[in-house]
Amino acid sequence: MSRFDVDARILRNEGLARNIFRLTLSAPEIAKNARPGQFCMISVDGKSRFDPLLRRPLSIFDARKDGEIEFLYSIVGRGTDILSQKKEGDLMGILGPLGKGFGMGQCEHPILVGGGIGAAPLHFLAKRLKTAFSVVIGAKTRDELPGISAFKSLTTRLLIATEDESIGCKGVVTAPLEEELVALTKSDAAGYLIIYTCGPWPMMRAVHHICVKYGVRCRVSLEARMACGIGACLGCAVKKADGGYLHVCKDGPVVDSAEIDWEAEV
Amino acid sequence: MAKTSHGPDLHVDLAGLRLKNPVLLASGTCGYGVEISDLVDLNMLGGIVVKGLSLTPRPGNPPPRIVETPCGVLNSIGLENIGIDAFARDKLPLLKGFNTKVIANIFGETVDEYAALARKIDRIDGISAIEVNISCPNVKAGGAAFGANPEAAAAVTRAVRAGTGLPVIVKLSPNVTDIVEIATAVEAAGADAVSLINTLLGMSIDVKKRRPALKNVFGGLSGPAIKPVALRMVWQAAGTLKIPVIGIGGITTPEDAIEFLMAGAVAIEVGAATLVRPAAAIEVISGIKDYMEANRLQNTAELPIPRAS
Ligand SMILES: Cc1cc2nc3c(=O)[nH]c(=O)nc-3n(C[C@H](O)[C@H](O)[C@H](O)COP(=O)(O)OP(=O)(O)OC[C@H]3O[C@@H](n4cnc5c(N)ncnc54)[C@H](O)[C@@H]3O)c2cc1C
Ligand SMILES: Cc1cc2nc3c(=O)[nH]c(=O)nc-3n(C[C@H](O)[C@H](O)[C@H](O)COP(=O)(O)O)c2cc1C
Ligand code: FES
Repeated sequence: MSRFDVDARILRNEGLARNIFRLTLSAPEIAKNARPGQFCMISVDGKSRFDPLLRRPLSIFDARKDGEIEFLYSIVGRGTDILSQKKEGDLMGILGPLGKGFGMGQCEHPILVGGGIGAAPLHFLAKRLKTAFSVVIGAKTRDELPGISAFKSLTTRLLIATEDESIGCKGVVTAPLEEELVALTKSDAAGYLIIYTCGPWPMMRAVHHICVKYGVRCRVSLEARMACGIGACLGCAVKKADGGYLHVCKDGPVVDSAEIDWEAEV
Repeated sequence: MAKTSHGPDLHVDLAGLRLKNPVLLASGTCGYGVEISDLVDLNMLGGIVVKGLSLTPRPGNPPPRIVETPCGVLNSIGLENIGIDAFARDKLPLLKGFNTKVIANIFGETVDEYAALARKIDRIDGISAIEVNISCPNVKAGGAAFGANPEAAAAVTRAVRAGTGLPVIVKLSPNVTDIVEIATAVEAAGADAVSLINTLLGMSIDVKKRRPALKNVFGGLSGPAIKPVALRMVWQAAGTLKIPVIGIGGITTPEDAIEFLMAGAVAIEVGAATLVRPAAAIEVISGIKDYMEANRLQNTAELPIPRAS
């Protein structure tokens, strides 16, 4: 585990769709050490330490040998709004790579299940996977899925669901996921299936229940309100199935879905 | 005057404890130290105050536990901790490998629990002092209830004092009408030092969800937003007490720390700033040194400013 707190220069900060941006920074130490599923804490207003006070956690969308690291983010509040106004050449405080990632196995057939912006860490995972895999992505509408084209070159098994049917089939990820599971359990991949998922809590809960039903292991990438991202404040608590709390920034963000109390309020 | 070859002397004597400089990490914002030792060189610090410890482990409050506010952060962690025994067994051996003073921050629900903790810690090698938290706003029993009442605060102080030969630092709550009254009471009860302030009780509402932003409804406010309140209280306490005062509250930059030292604090603790930037305290130390050099001060004891009588 090597973590770095650096001032990184913005190479690009482009709007991909309404309210969705891709941020590219030059941060060689972080890019070199990053693994799929890990995240960084980013000070959205350059190096400012007062307002907004806290850094924002963002999952790593891509990390390349050339030292560039990318994030895909949607504007949901003040911090991400300020971030979206930052320009090429601006310096950003960035701390990472943080947390435990997906931890890929040797002989697996993974199914990557993403909801909306939750597809971001799955993209980095897809790029690093050496085995064949499937991708199931869902969102309200196609505008929320600007990262999707990146998956097309990485797998032939890409299933998309949107609630307004603007792209793919109509509905949420659960139906195409079950179809894919049924198909794969009849194939050579049966017995090697594992699900990696990231998205809104209700979606991940539904995916967890499907995995229980089919007896497939499921790794989820969790979110929580964070202050530090490094295990210092104990703020990022999520209720465990067997009582007590785990801390998303150091025990996760990726954990086995069986560890979580999915009925807990978030 | 020629600059001395050694530079300024940053060491301070705090209730019999020699710190290499006046900068400590505040409880609850640096874990048990070891978690962040790759990002902060603990050897550089005057000391580290570990996360509040209780007799038995505590799970803490349900989430959300954190919400950001203007120039600040509200938390309702609820004193989640692994308990004194697990700390001594799993964390302290690693922490002892660093050249810095380890201060145990303790919390009990009754006076007896505080006393039992003090007796236990007294027998543990590697802990240099005890900081007694009588001011946590995030737990129902004990906590702030002790910190808001001079008699109760004095009772806890006496119990801890009786249980240990280590320096006893009592950490005060700002959620009181008269900080001087409480500070005077714990001094009289045998405290070797006081530290202040703990967080200010506050709340925030999520207007989209139409509910309190914190599950616990109330939380403790920290960060730059509370600095003026903290500084005022430190000034008041330092002007009244004979025992040393440790200043805490919103310290982010070297200038912030220098303000507290000028107000009469003997040492300071860096809290929320570490959460934002792990090495903040290290920058504070070098900034204090630079300031003293630039102003030809030899010792931190020269920092306090005169008070109009
Ligand atoms: C490990 C991790 C990885 C993440 N990865 C990404 C990512 O790749 N892309 C992306 O767009 N977002 C990601 N998020 C969520 C992102 O951190 C929040 O959207 C962001 O912090 C909101 O900041 P804001 O100031 O714009 O919003 P605020 O004004 O602070 O809040 C607006 C709303 O955003 C939500 N929110 C705020 N903070 C968080 C948080 N820390 N976690 C979850 N929800 C939050 C709340 O529901 C809130 O009502 C991730 C969060 C975590 C914990
Ligand atoms: C997340 C968090 C957890 C804290 N936990 C404790 C604790 O366990 N015991 C304690 O005495 N103070 C605790 N505090 C209070 C701090 O030590 C400090 O007194 C307060 O935050 C004010 O300083 P600051 O503005 O520099 O953060 C905590 C503060 C924060 C932000
Ligand atoms: S965010 Fe501070 S411990 Fe996880």
